[in-house]
Amino acid sequence: MSSLVKCPHCGLRPREEFTIRGEVPTPRPAAGADESVWFDHVYLRDNPRGQHREYWHHSGGCRRWLVLDRNTVTHETGDVVDASTLKSEGRA
Amino acid sequence: MRDFPLNNVSPFATMPDGQAHGAIHIAPVRTGFVFHVLGQATGTIDQTRQQQLQKMMDAIAPDLGGELRVLSPGQWFWVGENDVSQGRFGEIAGQLPGEFALSDQTHGRVRLRVTGARVCDVLAKGVMIDLDEGIFGVGQSAMTQIGHIGAMVTRLDRDSFEITVLRSFADSLWHELHHMAAEFNGPHS
Ligand SMILES: [Zn+2]
Repeated sequence: MSSLVKCPHCGLRPREEFTIRGEVPTPRPAAGADESVWFDHVYLRDNPRGQHREYWHHSGGCRRWLVLDRNTVTHETGDVVDASTLKSEGRA
Repeated sequence: MRDFPLNNVSPFATMPDGQAHGAIHIAPVRTGFVFHVLGQATGTIDQTRQQQLQKMMDAIAPDLGGELRVLSPGQWFWVGENDVSQGRFGEIAGQLPGEFALSDQTHGRVRLRVTGARVCDVLAKGVMIDLDEGIFGVGQSAMTQIGHIGAMVTRLDRDSFEITVLRSFADSLWHELHHMAAEFNGPHS
């Protein structure tokens, strides 16, 4: 087993239980925003070196979408929260 | 509510109970029920809500018994040992408050039991959770995977586990578990 991820609902689980969707592009543009802003939001990614926020789906466990802090250099994972918390904070 | 009858047939029907004398016993659970309870999706597993739901269940269906096994925030499996008729299921589903939906998964999620002194050594080959008793104690359940097959693992006792798996994966898992247990059961047991 490789990296362990602490799911807020299920506890420590190996990464094999998860499906990774990719970067959390925030903030989400307004519905009527310019097409280029939406293009950027939907298609363009920064691929940063260091801290990175990603959507992970706990497909082999609770099946909730999570948001995970990961360091792209060390692969260390930090905060893991349920993705719905971003919605309530207006950050998704 | 479905408008056609479901015919529950065990996926293990033709399999002989061949390891009755082995150190690890793997057996299908052929009776009882599995109901999927869906509540409001929230961002956290709410223990208070679960206790309230358990009270409602006890009031609505004291004949069923059984327990709630948490699957995800706002989702549970209600599992018990008594057989439930489809008419009775309809009554119960109708009596639960509107915020909960009930789905009879007795045909879709099948159960099997794995028991024996070395059962943790067998399961550790595939399950993705720590089976140490201090971490995963008696009565606890976890939705996880056994190899690539998604399954709910419940600790019934120190050396006894119940595994709930989707019916279509049950046969594969059955064979996988026998492979995992083979070193403890020997070729002729
Ligand atoms: Zn989870």
